[in-house]
Amino acid sequence: MRENAIIAKTANNDPAERRREVTRYADAIRLHALRMVMPQGFGYLGQALSSAEIFATLYRSAYRHNIDNLVCSPGHYIISVYAAEAAAGRLGPDDLCTYGQNDSRLEAIGTEKSPGVSLTCGSLGMGLSGALGLALADRLQGKTDAYTFAFISDGELEEGQVWEAALFAAHHKMNRLIVILDANNSQVDGPVDTITTIDPIAEKWRAFGWHAQDVDGHDVDRLEAALEASLDSDLPSIVIARTSTRMGLHCLPPDADGHFIKVPPELARDAIAELEGRLA
Amino acid sequence: MRDAPYATETKPYGRALLSLAQQRSDILCLTGDLTRQCEIDLFQQAIPERFIHAGMAEANMMSMAGALARRGFIPFVHTFGVFATRRPYDQIVNSIGYPKLPVRIVGFMPGVSTPGGPSHQAVEDIAIMRAVPGMTIIDVADAQEIAQAVPAIVDLPGPVYLRLKRGEIPLMFKEGHRFDLHKADVIYDGGEAAIVSSGMMLASARQAAEILHEAGLPCSLVHLPVLKPIDAKTLCEVLGRARVVVTAENHSVIGGLGSAIAELIAEEGLGIRLGRIGLQDTYAEGSLNAPHLFMKYGLSTQKIVDTAWRLSGRSASAPNVPSIPVQAGEYAPV
Repeated sequence: MRENAIIAKTANNDPAERRREVTRYADAIRLHALRMVMPQGFGYLGQALSSAEIFATLYRSAYRHNIDNLVCSPGHYIISVYAAEAAAGRLGPDDLCTYGQNDSRLEAIGTEKSPGVSLTCGSLGMGLSGALGLALADRLQGKTDAYTFAFISDGELEEGQVWEAALFAAHHKMNRLIVILDANNSQVDGPVDTITTIDPIAEKWRAFGWHAQDVDGHDVDRLEAALEASLDSDLPSIVIARTSTRMGLHCLPPDADGHFIKVPPELARDAIAELEGRLA
Repeated sequence: MRDAPYATETKPYGRALLSLAQQRSDILCLTGDLTRQCEIDLFQQAIPERFIHAGMAEANMMSMAGALARRGFIPFVHTFGVFATRRPYDQIVNSIGYPKLPVRIVGFMPGVSTPGGPSHQAVEDIAIMRAVPGMTIIDVADAQEIAQAVPAIVDLPGPVYLRLKRGEIPLMFKEGHRFDLHKADVIYDGGEAAIVSSGMMLASARQAAEILHEAGLPCSLVHLPVLKPIDAKTLCEVLGRARVVVTAENHSVIGGLGSAIAELIAEEGLGIRLGRIGLQDTYAEGSLNAPHLFMKYGLSTQKIVDTAWRLSGRSASAPNVPSIPVQAGEYAPV
């Protein structure tokens, strides 16, 4: 069994207490993201809502900031990284309030300036290849301790480059590469499954030679267990996290477009109150 | 320069890269399933631990190369020029160009040097690479330049596109020729006409310049192996003394050498006539051999001579270009 940091990362080993802590971290991500999109009244809030538990679990368990690589393939999700970095204390309110503003390094779609990640890509489908390059570099440089975590989205599975990278990773037994897929069934033109059938996702990756697990992406216990199993796999691993772009904000209207949520002032007030209430 | 027909050698690039990589542990060699064709079977045999076979997956190969460069490696990425530029353009821009990473993209088989048809003929690779900010673009003429270009580019801070002829590589320059990353090579100066060529078109350009000179039209000749950044100073000096200029490139006349010289003439206010030899906004075709395509698509010495003659306003008919007989293993312009 490989060494990993999963348990050591959190102060408390009591399962219920750990669950509570990671869940609070996820809500902190939601609240930071909400505050980032509020000035404009719209933005990539749905991406933060769907990926909040994923990033919270990563940050509170498997991902070690100074050792591992973190790739955020879909640059539109960089809001979740900024929020997770803020929750970790590495970005402050002065940084977050510049999100999406002119001359800000916190651009709304991730760029070379984006803090918090080893790599992010605005043009979709490239991040897994970049993660492979980082993992290969670690292997060539003898950094045997480092893992590479690559966050990708379900819409990206429509890009052929993802499958080029999947073939390469399995052939080269890139066992320290762990992909977390946010399967929120959302892309610009509507639900992914109405545009392209990408299921069964896990079977596809298994057929490509990967260790694949399909879990509820808002269940932090399942996410943590899946990450732990991935750390110990001899194959490259993917955790397919089934999520919703509306998760964790009950005040959202039923017709909210999760891909690019509009947050008028009144809704923003309700949403802040809801999240602050849970975090109180 | 030597005289045509030129002797040739094989694998000057493969030898140069291997020699450099034996001194430099930061060099990686990536291939897109064209290992022997790109001369890097030499690298694969000698340094297998730094040889990465990416398979026929150019998009993944380019993005991986960019990430490897982020970690201090200098990846040399190999495939044919078409597959190195057309297919993974978005990856070159986002994974390599925009982050200014020192990836060396090596594209073999330029223009109509292959009879393999439009799918294999890189006729706009320079055009699209020129549009990538910070991309250095090199299109060398002979084996000696290849040997010098490889160590010359290794430590450039940003990305490089190196365009190389495949197979038998001519030796056009005499011993001691120096490839200079920053300076155009002025072979003849002071002419009423001037020819500017890049890559393997130097053979035709040089033959044309000599024939024009003998026919009473003194002709300057500038070899421009580095298309970007362009040596505007040298070009302005030479072209400033000429009345007409003809560019010769194994590429579309749109976006490559001809366009670069047109931009220079206009921006520097040189006010001279320009003729552009190259593919005239067309695809080529498959054939039995490359010389047929050079002739058919107007990339011949005669075409350069005719164009310079016509633009110079000579009334008599242009001089005829004699064909140069070649033996097996020799190279001569068409």
